[in-house]
Amino acid sequence: MSTRRARLISVDGVSGTAVAAAARVSLAAIARTRRGGVSTWDASGLFQDLAVADEEAGMPSVRTLLLLYAADLAFRLRWEIRPALAEGRTVVVAPYVDTAIALGRAAGLRSGWLTNLFQFAPKPAGSRYVNQIPARRAPADAGLLEFVSEQMLMPAGFSRDQLMERTRIRLRELARRAGHRAPAA
Amino acid sequence: MAVTRQPPSALLRVSRQRVRERFANPSQRRGLLVAFEGPDGSGKTTQRKLFKTWLKSQGHDVVTTKWNSSDLIKPLIKSRKSVRVLSPEEFSLLHAADFRHRVEHQILPALWANKLVIADRFLFTALARDVARGLDLDWVLKLYQPLLWPDLVFYFSVSSGTSGRRVGAIRTPNYYEAGQDVTNVDDPVESYQRFITQVIREYESLALVFNFITVDGEKSIGEQHHRIRSLFREGEHRPWSEWNLDAITDWLAQSEALA
Repeated sequence: MSTRRARLISVDGVSGTAVAAAARVSLAAIARTRRGGVSTWDASGLFQDLAVADEEAGMPSVRTLLLLYAADLAFRLRWEIRPALAEGRTVVVAPYVDTAIALGRAAGLRSGWLTNLFQFAPKPAGSRYVNQIPARRAPADAGLLEFVSEQMLMPAGFSRDQLMERTRIRLRELARRAGHRAPAA
Repeated sequence: MAVTRQPPSALLRVSRQRVRERFANPSQRRGLLVAFEGPDGSGKTTQRKLFKTWLKSQGHDVVTTKWNSSDLIKPLIKSRKSVRVLSPEEFSLLHAADFRHRVEHQILPALWANKLVIADRFLFTALARDVARGLDLDWVLKLYQPLLWPDLVFYFSVSSGTSGRRVGAIRTPNYYEAGQDVTNVDDPVESYQRFITQVIREYESLALVFNFITVDGEKSIGEQHHRIRSLFREGEHRPWSEWNLDAITDWLAQSEALA
């Protein structure tokens, strides 16, 4: 067991591209010898497989997608995050749990269901939030929200833009609760 | 011009009202959901097929849904099972996703259209298997919320010895079926025997908690089938279960939004 202090730093936000950029900045701020790398979404390839599924299979709902996101996160924890932490390194996890919770809350899912879903994920030692909306033509594989807007059944009564905006608002609330005054733009 | 949409909360309210009216209307025919549960080799698939044939002969419009069968999620699970990379959590979450997709795309649309849905395994399969894999029952159960309760759950009860013998007579259990991911036993047959003993223990608890109708899977095929017929006739005219209000409202609101 390493004696170095292992840390999990989360970076959450609606724009996958902005989250990835913030993760790189966060990693660069960590001493080289302690860097454990960045864990990004879809390391398991679940969403990549989903993107090429037959159209007739039907589009997933937000609840189904969040179950898949949780499966992907469990994979990342097992193969990327926990091994690095066990070596005493710091891992930047981008995105982590709050992006998914904000999306679920924005879509009207109950917070109790969402909290239970991610119960297996350890609490981060530090959190960072980015406050940008994805560009209209962002590729579907840029991040969870970009994927959602392309590949998911929109929840009842929502347009893509409304869902993005509501998710951003929910994320700001989560950031405030985590002790951040306002997410960095 | 901007498209005017009903706000999500209003849509949910309207959908909830529609579901309530539908539940309360005794003159309107309703769909029925019948689940067949039990360990591998308990005879439930044989009974499900016989039951379906009989229901059709009685004029029912029948839809069958099987465990881990959605066109969208099944290929994802299959490819990961084949390379044996799933942890118990991932295994559980992927099956919950498959189930949810089938609930939204097959089961609820069929029930709403007054069809009779037979589920060859339902969420109780996940509860029994995942808990046997060491996961917390409460965590797994909540993954399946909002819960959709079947009108009838037939539980086919057999001993672990019978299950092992029947499965072993036709094939070698596969890696996850045998629970080799958690038993660490190399021999699939021996691993299956250990794992299915745990699964059956969980099933027996669930049968008590959730009031399953237990069918003795050790009896003859004919005896079991006749018992299922008579039990079905007794339960056929029950009203919709109020417990299903949330699950149906969720789905209906989504369908209304798409219409």
